[in-house]
Amino acid sequence: MRRSTRVAMCLALGLAALPVAGLRADPTTQQKYDALKAQMAAMARQMASMQKQMAAMKKRQAAMAASTQSTDQKAIDRSVRRLYKKVMKESQKISALEPGNIQVLIAGDVNFQFQHQQGHASTFYADSSPMIQVRVDKNIFINTAFDFYTQSGGAGGVNSDIGAANLNYELNDNITLGGGLISSPIGGIVGIYNPAPWNRWVVDGSLEDNLLPPNELGVWARGGVPAPNNLGYLTYFLFASNGPASTSTNGTANSAGSYNSYTGLNYGNWNPAAQNGKAIGGRVSYLPIPNIEVGYSFEYARPSADGSPVTINSLVQAVDFNAYYVNKKIDGLFRVRGGWTWDQVGQGLVVANASGGFSSLGGDSNGGQIEFAYQPSMCGIKYLNRVMAAFRYDRIDGPVSQALSGSDHEQRYTFGLDYWLHSNAVLKCEYEFDNLSGGQHGADAVFMQFAVGI
Amino acid sequence: MKMFPAFHFVKAATIGLAVATAVSLTGCSGSSPKQTTAAKKPLPPHPMFTFKDPADNESGAQIWSQNCMRCHQLRSPAQYTPAQWGVIVQYMRLKAGLTGEQAKKVLAFLQSASAH
Repeated sequence: MRRSTRVAMCLALGLAALPVAGLRADPTTQQKYDALKAQMAAMARQMASMQKQMAAMKKRQAAMAASTQSTDQKAIDRSVRRLYKKVMKESQKISALEPGNIQVLIAGDVNFQFQHQQGHASTFYADSSPMIQVRVDKNIFINTAFDFYTQSGGAGGVNSDIGAANLNYELNDNITLGGGLISSPIGGIVGIYNPAPWNRWVVDGSLEDNLLPPNELGVWARGGVPAPNNLGYLTYFLFASNGPASTSTNGTANSAGSYNSYTGLNYGNWNPAAQNGKAIGGRVSYLPIPNIEVGYSFEYARPSADGSPVTINSLVQAVDFNAYYVNKKIDGLFRVRGGWTWDQVGQGLVVANASGGFSSLGGDSNGGQIEFAYQPSMCGIKYLNRVMAAFRYDRIDGPVSQALSGSDHEQRYTFGLDYWLHSNAVLKCEYEFDNLSGGQHGADAVFMQFAVGI
Repeated sequence: MKMFPAFHFVKAATIGLAVATAVSLTGCSGSSPKQTTAAKKPLPPHPMFTFKDPADNESGAQIWSQNCMRCHQLRSPAQYTPAQWGVIVQYMRLKAGLTGEQAKKVLAFLQSASAH
């Protein structure tokens, strides 16, 4: 048989078988199919319902777990706080019972330096400022500081001074009351940030310091309070103290009734004859984060000359700021501090002058400073990580500048290199460029210092 | 053209402000009808101003490093004995304006670090 004939026969047989196959889909099988389909649909519905139930159960479980966890955490936090308070209370009781619970610490700082200023003899200088700190109990604290130093120029010799003699009582977590002699908070930079030589980035004092009271002899309230809504932190220092005396053009105290040559204020706090008028003042500062502090301070007084019933108004105001940034990105630490002070004295008072006419008193003096410092403490290079480069710009204007340098205006640029041997021991070397008003060159100076804080 | 008088503007603004204040105060008291019916527990008072001691969220080491560094180089805890730290922290609390709680935490940290 030929191949084409065989193919044709197979096709014919296949076509003939098709109707037979159609007859095999009988009605019983269709019913089964429908039943199965219905069963499948029911099962699908059941599955969907079960899935919904499962999701709801999971949600409930998650919610229960979260609430249990937060409740547990809160309970743990509460018990830890309670335990902490208990431990602190007990430890305080125990320390109060221990013999010698009055704790005394000798601290302070020592420094010596070499300075050479144009137009002046070069000199070595030494200063020792021991400090006796006494913790009488957990609420009472006493601080006494002395200052012994050699005098450069003039008669020379050794001078002594008292830097602090104060007693403080911690009323509660946020208020401390005190009385005595203390560094003035006015201006911030001198009294708070860098009072001791070892803690200053540059050796020489700032021109702004001449406008600020160095200390206060009086009573005060100070402390810190959190700002509302966790927006940072506030500190305050409010005081009433002996007021300043007025000074003349040559910086000495005015004699009775003589205000003709008034220039500024003398804060020699222990001259009772000039202290009838008291000063009030204070400083408040705001810290949005611990790295940044911005402060405002003022001191108001009615100073008089020795023995004179005539008083004048004086208002010293200052703003200051202090910030630091420490990060591996800059390989270390960057700091900036600054401040500006306004001295307004004798405003609006008119007095008879020496030539028989009248002249108005008072001259506003102002001045400020800005300091930068950078220390590559994270650079990983031995010795270099201990070096700090510092720069300061400071200036002063007005009658106080006249009394200091004979110029209406003085400004300085200081470049310094500090080498930190230890966190409290530093070697400093700096050069100071001095400029006076009218483009005059002032007295440039070189300083070298070794200072240690103990 | 008739101008809208300033007096009317002020009056409208005042009424608007009063209504807005009343609405916001109602919101602050946390007593919307839905909340009252849904949750029977009374809502906590709206924290208009909360004064939270920074020491609550910070450890003694954190307070020490962040605050002390503002004014001077950090001193190693090993430089002084625990008793000496007691005096120093009391002095520095005054200088830095720390709260009592902050000072306690710093002291606890320095004393424990100094002792080991």
